[in-house]
Amino acid sequence: MTSVISCTDVSKRYGDVQALDGVSLEVRKGEIFGMIGPNGAGKTTLMECLEGLRTRDGGSVEVFGMDPERRPGEIRQRIGVQLQSSALLSRLKVGEALALFASFYPDPVDWHALLDRLGLGGRLGSYVDRLSGGQRQRVFIALALVNAPELVFLDELTTGLDPQARLAIWDVIRDIRDAGTTVVLTTHVMEEAERLCGRVAIIDHGRIIALDTVPALVRSIGAGNTLRFTVDGRAPVAELEALAGVTSVEQEGGSVTVRGSDSRFPGEVLGVLARADLWPRDLSTEQSSLEDVFLTLTGREMREEHPA
Amino acid sequence: MRAFALLLGVQAKRTLREPPAAFFLIAFAPLYTVIMGLIFGNAARPEFGGRGYLDANLAGFAAIVVAISSFVLVPVDIVTQRESGALRRFRATPLRPLTFIAADVLVRFAGAVVSIVLALVLGIVAFGAEPSGSLAAVVGAVMLGVLAFLAAGYVLAAAVPTQGAALVLANVLVYPLIMLSGSAVPLAVLPDNVRRVARYSPLTQLVELLQRLWQGGAWTEAWLPLVVLVGLFAVGTALAASIFRWE
Repeated sequence: MTSVISCTDVSKRYGDVQALDGVSLEVRKGEIFGMIGPNGAGKTTLMECLEGLRTRDGGSVEVFGMDPERRPGEIRQRIGVQLQSSALLSRLKVGEALALFASFYPDPVDWHALLDRLGLGGRLGSYVDRLSGGQRQRVFIALALVNAPELVFLDELTTGLDPQARLAIWDVIRDIRDAGTTVVLTTHVMEEAERLCGRVAIIDHGRIIALDTVPALVRSIGAGNTLRFTVDGRAPVAELEALAGVTSVEQEGGSVTVRGSDSRFPGEVLGVLARADLWPRDLSTEQSSLEDVFLTLTGREMREEHPA
Repeated sequence: MRAFALLLGVQAKRTLREPPAAFFLIAFAPLYTVIMGLIFGNAARPEFGGRGYLDANLAGFAAIVVAISSFVLVPVDIVTQRESGALRRFRATPLRPLTFIAADVLVRFAGAVVSIVLALVLGIVAFGAEPSGSLAAVVGAVMLGVLAFLAAGYVLAAAVPTQGAALVLANVLVYPLIMLSGSAVPLAVLPDNVRRVARYSPLTQLVELLQRLWQGGAWTEAWLPLVVLVGLFAVGTALAASIFRWE
């Protein structure tokens, strides 16, 4: 796979704060690459260094093999950007905004079709200022795509959106990826990273503390699936503990929690219960998530910083 | 080029969609002329050397539009758009700052000139004002004045940090400049020492140039205002181009 972005040892300091502290990563052509981490972790600064909107203090960055600080003009032709603090000139209508941004590029897409695809086809004459949060966010995504970019940066893609708007935007992002565009996004919605991203970099205090696919990250912390159920009578704890893949069994009254590291053990657990003539109720499984990965690696919750 | 054309349209529409800005840019000068014409008319008066109120003052009204559009409308709009992050969004595109500024200047220039010419025509047609000199020369000086002050307005827009500061600066700067310029209150009624200070204001120099040309004076007699305005334009443009920022 060819890499679209590669950066090595990037650092950036604001006064006393080391915003980026030796970040190295590669983004491959055609993937959705996620950067997650709490507010202030350095995600936006890193993204802006990659976009060429911010000057780094040290390290090297290559986008399409070029340094974005030295060849900003060429790179800006080929990338699309949705900034975290998205804003447009005031008193502008949706159609005017798209036509204006399309005019900055030699070979823009048919933005009418783009708006249709984003569900904004009927909004051409609406003022951008007066759209709902989800609609405005889709306008900014349209603006980021108006030049048919090879690489698109989306900073805090769905922050502040309701779940339905979020799902619709995820579909759009997958479509873009399927059409061959490389996507780099930041989020602190873990579910977004899990559902959307091929690979995820977890960033904390200006460093990448882990980088891999979501399943690999979850495996790396040794946590796997959790199976909970309630039975009448005593669960065969020893027999369950002996199953391959099971790491622990806890029983508290009638409720039992079995943890394991592979995906087959829940089936085996049910088999053992059936043979013991025990019929589990309130059966649920729970998979470890990026949230657990973050918690394990940093000892902190990430959810505290949940946006409004 | 296409970006420039679209920016012209966008900036023109944005201005017209904001009623206060549109009023001061386009409607204020004609309205002010009508009000002053109705109050004072244009009958000969001894305090204006036997000329009428409008013949003595009409050409200077332009300075009010020039001051407000350059020192209020430009900084407030630019700083507001910068603070919101709208200008920063442009930085992520291939659009060059100069293209944006040029389109913005052209829209404001056209608006101010149309409004001032409308005011002059109203004064002449409706109230019988009559230039002793060439009207074309007066309009030429109006254009120079608008450009020079717009350039200065962009310097302010680049230098002022926040929208609040832009508003404060506008109020602190604009009203004294207008009062001292002779465009709203004839300079003749001001005390001598105030008048001496007023001569240092470039807006006073603009009024001086406009009134002189209206009364049939030659460009060559008005070398001081010309030097001041051309200098303001040159320094303002160079400074604005070097310190203007998207964010």
